[in-house]
Amino acid sequence: MRHLGRFSFILTLLALPAQAAAYPLTLDNCGHAITIDAAPERVVTIKSTATEMLLSLGLGDRIVGVGFQDGPLPPHLALAGAGLPILSDKLPSQEVVLEVEPDFIYGGWESNFAADGAGERPTLAGLGVATYVAPAACRSIKPVKLTFEQLFEQIGELGTIFDADEAAVHLIADQQAALNAVAPDPRGLTALWYSSGTKTPYVGAGSNAPAMIMEALGLTNIYADIDEGWTSASWEAIVDANPDVIVLVDAAWNSAEQKKTLLAENPITSQLDAVINQRYLVIPFPASEAGIRNVPATSDMAAQLARLTFGE
Amino acid sequence: MTITHRLSLPALAVLLIASAIAAVTFGPADITPGEVWSVIAHHLGILPESPVSRLRDAIVWELRLPRVLTALGVGAGLALSGAVMQALTRNPLADPYLLGLSSGAALGAVLFLLLGLTLLMPLGAFFGSLGALALALLIAQLLGGATPSRAILAGICIAALASAATSFLIFWSATGDSYREILSWLMGSLSGSIWPDATLVYLALAACLPIILANGRALDAFAFGDTAAASLGIDVPRLRWTLLGATALLTGIMVAIGGAIGFVGLVVPHTVRLAVGSAHRKLLPHVMLAGAIFMLWTDTAARTLFDPRELPVGIITALIGAPVFLAVLLRYRRIT
Repeated sequence: MRHLGRFSFILTLLALPAQAAAYPLTLDNCGHAITIDAAPERVVTIKSTATEMLLSLGLGDRIVGVGFQDGPLPPHLALAGAGLPILSDKLPSQEVVLEVEPDFIYGGWESNFAADGAGERPTLAGLGVATYVAPAACRSIKPVKLTFEQLFEQIGELGTIFDADEAAVHLIADQQAALNAVAPDPRGLTALWYSSGTKTPYVGAGSNAPAMIMEALGLTNIYADIDEGWTSASWEAIVDANPDVIVLVDAAWNSAEQKKTLLAENPITSQLDAVINQRYLVIPFPASEAGIRNVPATSDMAAQLARLTFGE
Repeated sequence: MTITHRLSLPALAVLLIASAIAAVTFGPADITPGEVWSVIAHHLGILPESPVSRLRDAIVWELRLPRVLTALGVGAGLALSGAVMQALTRNPLADPYLLGLSSGAALGAVLFLLLGLTLLMPLGAFFGSLGALALALLIAQLLGGATPSRAILAGICIAALASAATSFLIFWSATGDSYREILSWLMGSLSGSIWPDATLVYLALAACLPIILANGRALDAFAFGDTAAASLGIDVPRLRWTLLGATALLTGIMVAIGGAIGFVGLVVPHTVRLAVGSAHRKLLPHVMLAGAIFMLWTDTAARTLFDPRELPVGIITALIGAPVFLAVLLRYRRIT
């Protein structure tokens, strides 16, 4: 039933005639009304998820500046993304962003649009610069529980904004095909999504990319009941739940290897079955936030998961 | 006074032990009180076998008990340091962090974190707090001797400098969600306390307690000013240095373990002083026990109220501490 739903969704998208979008477009984005007068030509992307999304749609030539990248681009985008002008390693300031005269700024987090960041959204709108936030990263309105369908809708929305419907339809079809090839693990395993933190672990909860990926993998998240993307957790509750598998987020500032060492050296976490048996799944940090890397990461983790053995 | 009798030392001691016995039974994991006490009895060699599974045994013995003991020690240490600082500087607003200790500790912790030495963060915090103290006292000395007002001014200066440096480092280096660790530490949290943490806290208490408690009478003399204290035969500069050093060492260790937990060192001494009076030989032991009990219960609330999540205990100490303090002030308004 679920697959049928996805299939008909794709059919609908494929049936859309590849016609020129009707500008000006008015969209709702995190509760902000944004108006797009024409397909954006000069785009600034902030955070990896934003850059990777546009590169995947073949829109690299529209990007006039990138900021606050979380890590290197995935190999298949490295060529397309080579030589993109880097405005700032961290969050660029308003003046730095405006200097490249963008007509569209795509932020991975809504908090990127602050007075001490890329600028407030109304201010930028007043200057004729449209702003866009990945819907899953909305803060001013609470996003609904993330699904792959919503991610695909976002790809479709960007296709409309950039008058690149064809590229969007292809990207969605590729991602859907890759996702369909992922079979949920039938073993009924529980999992912890360990994002960061040492004394107070920060873990994936019930409503964002971690939840979506774990569900696709057939894993039961021990923090699924908390209706947030991520949450501060307690080691006691984790040890009590004793998850079968631990997902380790591999970030430059807190690598999967560092996490493994920490888990193995701590007198309490070292007792977890997943730690004793080294049952880890690793995901790169930029792939752990909502974006086009979620599907490949899910496939990759499904393969990692299939290699793990349990019992005996 | 009748109030004095109600808050007697034996009563506080009994309350402390009862609190500890009760607090270990609270937690996100569903373990019955009987099981918890049996696990502890087993590890103390009283019971031959642990009644629960390996992991639940670890929850009690490796997580809850060291954390409860750490909370008791940190509460005692911070409250005691606060009382001594208030006396030494004759300043009711003084707390253990007065001389820039917490800001220095934060700077040290953040530095170590950025250098990738996450596990050695407490060491960074300790060096940071000692560095801040040394600088503050050096400045005070340069100003012509460590009198209370000079020490306070130097402390303000160091605290401002260290906080600015910390903010700058966070701003400069914040990548992804790396700042979370720092934030939780800055707010003060005892989560993840293990046996070595508890051991360190009690070693610091064992080292500093005798020095501080032995000088209760001298601290009383300080209340009347340096000249009065000197006329009572006290070597004022020497004693002030000794007590500042002991307090700083104690606070440095507490901050290293629990981060900058606010309010305990400020509110507990004042509250207890209202109940037992300001004679330090009597005040200090009471403050210590009351601080321990207060810290234990606020930390227990921090780790259980929002199960399965955790709140930094610093938020709770302020949330509970401020109204309690206000209530006490109102109740004893005639005395104050």
